[in-house]
Amino acid sequence: MISKRFVVKRLLLLIPVLFGVATFVFAILHLSPGDPARVIAGQRASEEFIQQIRVELGLNDPIWVQYGRFLMDAVQLDFGQSYQIRRNTPVKQVLRYKLPVTLEMAIYGQLFGILLGIPAGLLGAIKQDALSDHLTRIGALTGISVPIYWSGPLVILLFAQVLGWFPASGRIASEFDIQPITGMITFDTLVRGNFAAFESAAMHLLLPSLVIGIYSMALISRMMRSSMLEVIRQDYMRTARAKGQGSKITIMKHGFRNALIPVVTVIGIQFGTLLGGAVLTETVFGIAGIGTLLVQAIQVGDYPIVQGTVLTFAFLFTLVNLLVDVTYSYLDPRIEQ
Amino acid sequence: MDLRERGRLVGRALALGGALAALTVVALVVSGETLRFASEKVFAVAALVFGFSLLGWSGSVFAGEGIEHFQQHIGGRADWSEADSRRAIVVLGSVGLGGMVGASLATVALGSVA
Repeated sequence: MISKRFVVKRLLLLIPVLFGVATFVFAILHLSPGDPARVIAGQRASEEFIQQIRVELGLNDPIWVQYGRFLMDAVQLDFGQSYQIRRNTPVKQVLRYKLPVTLEMAIYGQLFGILLGIPAGLLGAIKQDALSDHLTRIGALTGISVPIYWSGPLVILLFAQVLGWFPASGRIASEFDIQPITGMITFDTLVRGNFAAFESAAMHLLLPSLVIGIYSMALISRMMRSSMLEVIRQDYMRTARAKGQGSKITIMKHGFRNALIPVVTVIGIQFGTLLGGAVLTETVFGIAGIGTLLVQAIQVGDYPIVQGTVLTFAFLFTLVNLLVDVTYSYLDPRIEQ
Repeated sequence: MDLRERGRLVGRALALGGALAALTVVALVVSGETLRFASEKVFAVAALVFGFSLLGWSGSVFAGEGIEHFQQHIGGRADWSEADSRRAIVVLGSVGLGGMVGASLATVALGSVA
């Protein structure tokens, strides 16, 4: 049973983390060169017009006033309006459309990593030094070593260009017009009962998820293998076998749950990497998610979008790590102590 | 470390940050930069230090004990401890916070002189 005190303590710790990230982002954006008012006004704008924009945005206020206003707005999830990318649209609204796109890809990537990584790691540990172990280790090492910007085009080349099994880019075939409910297209198509559209969305999502999940899969399988090897050698495992319990039951009943603890840590940390990897994956596969939005916002100096996106990433990452902590205490109740 | 000692440690760090930031703002203005530029850049650098320390403090509280136990488990000889880490980060954060306040006060003072 997970105690409320443990969860509340962890939730309270999210406050300084998010406050720290907000302060960090604010500082970095104010240290970076470029004037947002000039970006909005354009290169040929008059000095009076630029000054007028500075006054409207409060950029002429002292920096501590701007900092206080930024923190107060951030607490209310108000990141202001986009300067450039979606001019005059609230950042919250822009993120509402873009975030589900990236989340969907990251969730499928993570699922892919877990569903393939855990069995591969288990197999490697149970059949240590056998051919299957060597193959999974080679696969894991390759997965860790290959960067997304290289594996992405290779996967497109093989599965989209040569074999023609999957589409190379986009989220769904152009003939389908799906009104968003959650913004996660596979979910929306299923809820609307449009299975042809679901199939198209799933086919579009498979390659990006595969690419984003390869690294995760490799890391999870390596961690699962080493953790399981350690657990297999414990006295309680030997005792269970000595009592006549079959080796499969011993591993699954006594070993698996204990071996999962470090794997859960990796899964939590990996989620942050998946969100970061989304920037590259979205660019390679032409998906308009939060990753490409962040890159565009940095390029054109759209500060509110950058601030909103980074804070959203930080919030998601800390939230996933909170879930990891809660899962820990379920797997090993001693951790709560 | 009792409460008074902690207070003194934080107070010294705040004063150090404040003095450093105020001096830097003055130095930048004297060297020919505008007051707005000096104020924004010094405040932002101090905020960077403060933000970093907030993240570091949370990280220490989140994972510090785990790292300490892990070190003991593998027989490491490092003297790193969660309490020391938190103390160091609090000092760093106080310097940052002091810097933010110092930069603001120096700006107000220089602005009223000008």
